[in-house]
Amino acid sequence: MELQTMVTMLAEGFLKSVAIFSLTLLGSLPLGLLVAFGRMSKFKPLQWIVKFYISVMRGTPLMLQLMVVFFGPHYLLGIQTGSNYRFVAVIIGFVLNYAAYFAEIYRGGIESMSVGQYEAAEIMGYSKAHTFVRIILPQVIKRILPSITNEMITLVKDTSLAFAISYAEMFTLAKKIASSQSTLMPFVIAGVFYFIFNYVVAFIMERVEKKMSYYR
Amino acid sequence: MSNILTMNNIQKSFGELEVIKDISVSIKKGDVLSIIGPSGGGKSTLLRCAAMLETINGGSILYGDKKAAWTEDNGKVVYAKGKDMKEIKNYFGLVFQNFNLFPHFSVLKNITDAPLRMQKRNKDEVMSEAEVLLDKMGLKEKAGAYPYQLSGGQQQRVAIARALALKPQILFFDEPTSALDPELTAEVLRVIRQLAEENMTMAIVTHEMNFARLVSDHLIFIDGGVIVEQGSPDAVLGNPQMERTKAFLNKLEQ
Repeated sequence: MELQTMVTMLAEGFLKSVAIFSLTLLGSLPLGLLVAFGRMSKFKPLQWIVKFYISVMRGTPLMLQLMVVFFGPHYLLGIQTGSNYRFVAVIIGFVLNYAAYFAEIYRGGIESMSVGQYEAAEIMGYSKAHTFVRIILPQVIKRILPSITNEMITLVKDTSLAFAISYAEMFTLAKKIASSQSTLMPFVIAGVFYFIFNYVVAFIMERVEKKMSYYR
Repeated sequence: MSNILTMNNIQKSFGELEVIKDISVSIKKGDVLSIIGPSGGGKSTLLRCAAMLETINGGSILYGDKKAAWTEDNGKVVYAKGKDMKEIKNYFGLVFQNFNLFPHFSVLKNITDAPLRMQKRNKDEVMSEAEVLLDKMGLKEKAGAYPYQLSGGQQQRVAIARALALKPQILFFDEPTSALDPELTAEVLRVIRQLAEENMTMAIVTHEMNFARLVSDHLIFIDGGVIVEQGSPDAVLGNPQMERTKAFLNKLEQ
């Protein structure tokens, strides 16, 4: 197989990796915030459920979670899943997993805010929703940005775990090509792709951080 | 003249600790009340109860003739709700010891955001009022600055402007200069004094005795959760009657 063919094939897989990455962020960043609210809820049963959810998501391998999401409906519930469920399962698994991590990052950020900010907002007549959206959240985002960047970089590499349920993203393809052609080349190319992807992610996040550095 | 704020038989405990045992105090329109006393005596807590940042365990709070909180026959304290509470909260402003400005807002936005967003007032009006306030605070050229770029004294003056922009009937100060150097303290006190001359109704928790003597119409000395002594500032500070007041004032002079 020519190198060019290999790169073209892997590039296709790369687009799928990018899709996993993007959709995971799109789903898990907002969901993580909701989970964080549940985790900080004064309603104890909700807090326990969310705590349990977080500990399962963080305490078991993502690969295993993907398998459960993919095979679970069929083996546990007897549901016949459609042909495009493979991709859906990947996204569900990733979103649920990353939401748990993001939730804890949000929680750390929210709890680091001083009571004074809430009190000042309350005295000035801000509603609870306004206080959170206008006063607290912007400051929290600035504080947690480095941790979010960290998770995003991990996520780029984690997309390769979709190979566990044979979803044809870049790593799955690389493995296939490598074994059929008996060469390490696909792995080298995939590695370069991952590295460049992460370089871009880090670069963009650095810009975002800079943009938010107009205040302390 | 009518009372802006009336607090009757206030009680407040944190768990087992009774911080305010039984305090009644009222403030007339245009008056300045200073609250002095040792740390842990309950003076800040009293102010925070008035500002609804703490919930009282007994007694009643009135703003004008509006009931903000009262104790029912069964001993349960009830607070006003909904629209009533919103109206009451418009009555007062509070200046904190550590300013609590919003760091991600510019000076101007700190002052105008709440009047615009929460009071939904006319933009031109709010903007021109903010300019006047900044000028009055001697911060005209700092409108675009962010809080971290300001000295403590400047930050506190922004905080005062921010509170005034909401047009409160009464302004509370919770140890407004305790986080400041003596030099910066002076500029903040000057502003408060100016407000007193303009007949702004204020209640000030402070450790600055000379200042209290200068600006206040009435002074209360709180210790152990009760008012130990009260009266005109000259009387309480110049000629205290109670042993605890004397001891406290003597300690300050050392």
